[in-house]
Amino acid sequence: MYLASYENNKPCIIENLPDINLLNSLGLRKGSKVSIKSRQFFGGPLVVQIGTRCVAIDKKIAEQIVIKEVH
Amino acid sequence: MHCHNTGSRKLPPSAPDDIKILLMGNPNVGKSVIFSKLTGMDVLTANYAGTTVSYTAGNVNYRSKSATLIDVPGTYSLEATSPAEQVAVNFLEEGANVIICVLDATNLERNLNLALQIKHKDVPIIYSLNLIDVAENKGISIDVEKLEEELGAPVIPTVATRNVGLKDLLDRAWEVALKEPVAIKPVQMSHDERWQEVGRIAEKVQVVEHRHPTFWDKLGDALVQPFPGLPLAIIILTLSMLFVVGGGQGLRALLLLPILDNYYIPAITSLVAYFIPEGILFNLLVGEYGVLIKGIEWPFFLILPYVTLFYVVMSFLEDSGYLPRLGILLDSLLRRIGMLGSNVVPMVMGYGCAVPAILGTRAANSQKQRLMITSLVALAVPCTAQSGAFIALLGDQSILALVFVYMVSFVAILIAGSILNRVIPGETDPMLMEVPNLLRPSVSALSQKIFIRIKQFLLEAEIPMVLGILFAAVLVETGLLLVIGDLLKPLVEGWLGLPKEASLALMLGIVRRELGVLPLLELELTTLQLIVGSLVALFYLPCVTVMAIIIKEFNLKLSIYVIGFTTIIAFTLAGLFNQVARLLGFQ
Ligand SMILES: Nc1nc2c(ncn2[C@@H]2O[C@H](COP(=O)(O)OP(=O)(O)O)[C@@H](O)[C@H]2O)c(=O)[nH]1
Ligand SMILES: [Mg+2]
Repeated sequence: MYLASYENNKPCIIENLPDINLLNSLGLRKGSKVSIKSRQFFGGPLVVQIGTRCVAIDKKIAEQIVIKEVH
Repeated sequence: MHCHNTGSRKLPPSAPDDIKILLMGNPNVGKSVIFSKLTGMDVLTANYAGTTVSYTAGNVNYRSKSATLIDVPGTYSLEATSPAEQVAVNFLEEGANVIICVLDATNLERNLNLALQIKHKDVPIIYSLNLIDVAENKGISIDVEKLEEELGAPVIPTVATRNVGLKDLLDRAWEVALKEPVAIKPVQMSHDERWQEVGRIAEKVQVVEHRHPTFWDKLGDALVQPFPGLPLAIIILTLSMLFVVGGGQGLRALLLLPILDNYYIPAITSLVAYFIPEGILFNLLVGEYGVLIKGIEWPFFLILPYVTLFYVVMSFLEDSGYLPRLGILLDSLLRRIGMLGSNVVPMVMGYGCAVPAILGTRAANSQKQRLMITSLVALAVPCTAQSGAFIALLGDQSILALVFVYMVSFVAILIAGSILNRVIPGETDPMLMEVPNLLRPSVSALSQKIFIRIKQFLLEAEIPMVLGILFAAVLVETGLLLVIGDLLKPLVEGWLGLPKEASLALMLGIVRRELGVLPLLELELTTLQLIVGSLVALFYLPCVTVMAIIIKEFNLKLSIYVIGFTTIIAFTLAGLFNQVARLLGFQ
């Protein structure tokens, strides 16, 4: 499942993600636990919470981030 | 210091036995606040990534030893993905006596990731654990002693904005810098190894206790939801505009104009009349374009109230962390014109002054984004001084005309943006941006910032304005203006439908944007003429300072393009508007 199509406000774990330096530096990497805080109309960015902070991620990038649910 | 820190890449000369200290860390962790508290120098700070795009250097004298402190642009890693990050990496390679690595206590993991990268280079380091006040509110507590043990270097908790811990920080920096350095063996770690190390340290030193979110936390979250974020954005922006326009008009009508008309002008005129007989010199000083009249009236009584109120609003929006949130909401709209949400920050800065906006584009990753923002700001974004002039010119006669000019500016940005998007090669970057905490701005930080900006405005505006006015006075007094007016008659009168004297605005407008508007105040113009004159000024050349910055940041070719295109667009659009309006029977 991809991050872009996941529900808001539900935690999930990143399984795979594109190789973008800034993603890694912002703390998004394999195994990070994240949850979507908001999404915008017309393909705007997703706001994703990681740890205590939020990061805005382009929808195109979020479409390439593979995640799995946590129960 | 230069008014706007345009930052060359070379280091300033410093005494050889000076201590050299680098302030490094992630973006938006308080480095610039620490820098200005320690050096007493004016640097601008703001609550989002990318305010410091080149370095600023300052002096600190402490314990009879002097040091050069350098505020390095923030980086998320040492991989240098933008020009601003490259500056940071270069500094690290040049070396220093000590690095103060600033950590954001509200986001320990990500900050430790950079800290470990810096630690693994061969430079002595100490840590400032900043923003502990915000961390406390969020229920985050960090065991400083354990963290020191893990990092193997001093860690000093600080609240930079309230001066907490900064003296300690200096003490430790001096200790480390004056000690003989022990060679550190540089360590290489893969991304994964480093993150594992970060995780292990965070686990050990940090306790996050669940707290109910504060009002600002909740507001921060709400502002990035389309609902209520979008309606709130409209309300916030409308209120901001009303505050600047209404407040400025009110200040002028109730306070400034009475002072000017009843006290200043009569006093200065009779003072000059006492010493100088009527004639050319008298007119140059206190005549129609007298330097002692217009040179005071224009900058202080006309423009300053709007500039001040604008910077009040803008500083508030910046320090609260609202602008990046606005960027998130507007991203999909901006994408249509080849820009992205994070570009909102330099664009909004452009409504203050184009210079920091263009410098601010250094934080953008791609050259395409830098070119787009620079061109749009140079073409169609009025700076605050010009906005002040527009409000003064149009506000009294017709608020509708004022609204119309800003609508044209806005539409022009959209159209020019989508054309440039096609012409400039390259893809628009995907958006990837940290969302800062929404914070209640501190009054002292705000007032300092507003003060810095007003000072900058006056320092930069007063001399060119006085020279411009002197030039105008000479043209008027010698009758040269009529000669030039005749020369430009086909353009100014025939095509634009303005009186000949308006050619003065075209000449002065080259120097500063507001000078392209202010001379129109002296002419009796119809509403149509006011709009046409404003449209010319809006699109006309940016000021000389901006041209210089464009040459410096890009090249001469781009600045020639900008001069050519802005001038052609200004005369074509304003002229067409005039011709069509007249055909339709407007006067
Ligand atoms: N509450 C609080 N705010 C801070 C503190 N330090 C910095 N700030 C604010 O955080 C924002 C970022 O500061 P700045 O110095 O521009 O960060 P830089 O990007 O690292 O230079 C500004 O709005 C500061 O006013 C602190 O210790 N406490
Ligand atoms: Mg800074």
